[in-house]
Amino acid sequence: MNKQQGNFFSDTLVMTKRSIVTILRNPLIFIPNLAISMFFLFVYEAGLSGIANLPAFEGANYLAFILPVSIVSAAIGGAGGAGQALVKDLDNGFFSRLLLTPSSRLAIVLGPIIAGMLQLVIQAGLIICVGFFLGLEVAGGAWGVVVVLLLTLGWGLAFAGYSVGVALRAKNAQSAQAGTFIFFPLIFLSTTFVPYELIDAAWLKVAATINPVTYLFEAMRTVLIDGFTDTWPIVLGFIVIAVLCAITITFSAVSAKKAVSTD
Amino acid sequence: MNGAIHVENAVKTFKGDIKAVRGVSFDIAEGEFFAFLGPNGAGKSTTVQLLTTLLKPTSGKLEVAGYDVSKDPEKVRLSIGVALQETGIDPDLKGRELLEFQARLFGFTKKEAKKRADELLELVGLTEDADRLSGKYSGGMRRRLDLAMTLVHQPKILFLDEPTTGLDPANRKAIWREIKRLNKEEGTTIFLTTQYLEEADQLADRISIINKGQIVATGTPAELKRTLGLDAVVLQFDEEEDAVKAQQAVASPDYQTERVKNDITILTENGTSILADVIRKLDEQNLHPAQLNVKPPSLDDVFIQVTNEQKEGDSIE
Repeated sequence: MNKQQGNFFSDTLVMTKRSIVTILRNPLIFIPNLAISMFFLFVYEAGLSGIANLPAFEGANYLAFILPVSIVSAAIGGAGGAGQALVKDLDNGFFSRLLLTPSSRLAIVLGPIIAGMLQLVIQAGLIICVGFFLGLEVAGGAWGVVVVLLLTLGWGLAFAGYSVGVALRAKNAQSAQAGTFIFFPLIFLSTTFVPYELIDAAWLKVAATINPVTYLFEAMRTVLIDGFTDTWPIVLGFIVIAVLCAITITFSAVSAKKAVSTD
Repeated sequence: MNGAIHVENAVKTFKGDIKAVRGVSFDIAEGEFFAFLGPNGAGKSTTVQLLTTLLKPTSGKLEVAGYDVSKDPEKVRLSIGVALQETGIDPDLKGRELLEFQARLFGFTKKEAKKRADELLELVGLTEDADRLSGKYSGGMRRRLDLAMTLVHQPKILFLDEPTTGLDPANRKAIWREIKRLNKEEGTTIFLTTQYLEEADQLADRISIINKGQIVATGTPAELKRTLGLDAVVLQFDEEEDAVKAQQAVASPDYQTERVKNDITILTENGTSILADVIRKLDEQNLHPAQLNVKPPSLDDVFIQVTNEQKEGDSIE
């Protein structure tokens, strides 16, 4: 029988398929994740929609404004689950077995990362459906929804890449969990609840400017509220997310190389 | 590509200056069954991880199947099968799925992977449980599945790190049978680590005893017993008085004698060759032992002897 170095794409595909199967076999982990992100959409809309009457909103629909927050924060469960899956692989010795195969280290980390990303995209799709049910109107139309989902895809890859990298460094569930706390400053030190102009504290303005998530929010809000009249925030959103993906996925692949020892 | 292993002065030092492997050298020929025998923490697993590309050596030259482990880790991984101390099984996948998955990563097509999985399930006796989640398997079944995953690509060299630790005798024998078959029938080179002397004695062509990161003795099981272990000639008397006389009678500068109550033990390199002499000496004094036994050394004796010698050496330092 022949044995050979597998090819990168088929390895990644096989790894991803396996990660998806293990996610689906643990519904108690992914169903609460789905539920919680929709819950946030409900409470934000119910509790905060009044502030859309402020002039800075220029008559925008608050639902369209807050929807990106719901999508981006869903990543902690969906894409963040990729890191937890990796900790499990490290614990039961399966990760060592993966490293002993001829597949590239990048393919090995991409499996859980892509599976985590897909989970987030599905969550985002459901959130958007719930949004429509609550009366969401998308200025960018069907293409607007596609753009939002593409941005979500990028964000999913970036966040899953980060969580896998952290899991590989930490090698245990607690530290990996602690690593996901970076998520809170990312989500909340931004234009989370009100537009940039309405942020009062100077330090928060600075934080929002350097926070990559701000550009993700802006890109999504642009297509949702204004459509495609001004494309620069959308392009900028894609650029920031692409850079973020490159950084976090490289981080996870490099960490895989270093995670091999049991020292 | 060949099935040999060449190690020259391998050193692995972990963070905090912990020296796990301190200059180990050995050669394993293609088709040989080689065992690394040593207590816990001797450096066995670290050596396996160095040879299987899971760890990078601090220094030294390590070649597996003709490839340098630092320069060509991918080629090494294609040539070897590795069953680590801890089984590497995803409990959320079924036995068959795991084997097919493993085969796909070694470049098998979907169809080939299916076929290979069936063969291996048959080989390790898991056909009936193939479609159950591996997380529900017993410890013995998990070991067998792990071994099957290791064999997916028919590796030339097999690394088995304490493959039977924690197994019941029936499962242990089953694993022994299979690795013996792989070595004898398929000519697979085997590198086995074990804490069990019996295991090394039963299976290996050649054994290195490793302790505290260094090889302290190497040879075939018989050689090790011969060079390091001594035969024991045991004489038992009915009366202690006779035993005392007998000890004086058989005394010789060629060997050591020890008496414990009615029993005398003579430690010598070759028990049978001194037997006639001992009996003649006893006859001259009219002493007749109630029982006389010659015990060949066990590998246990060798093991205890070399690890003790090292301990004494350490205390001098």
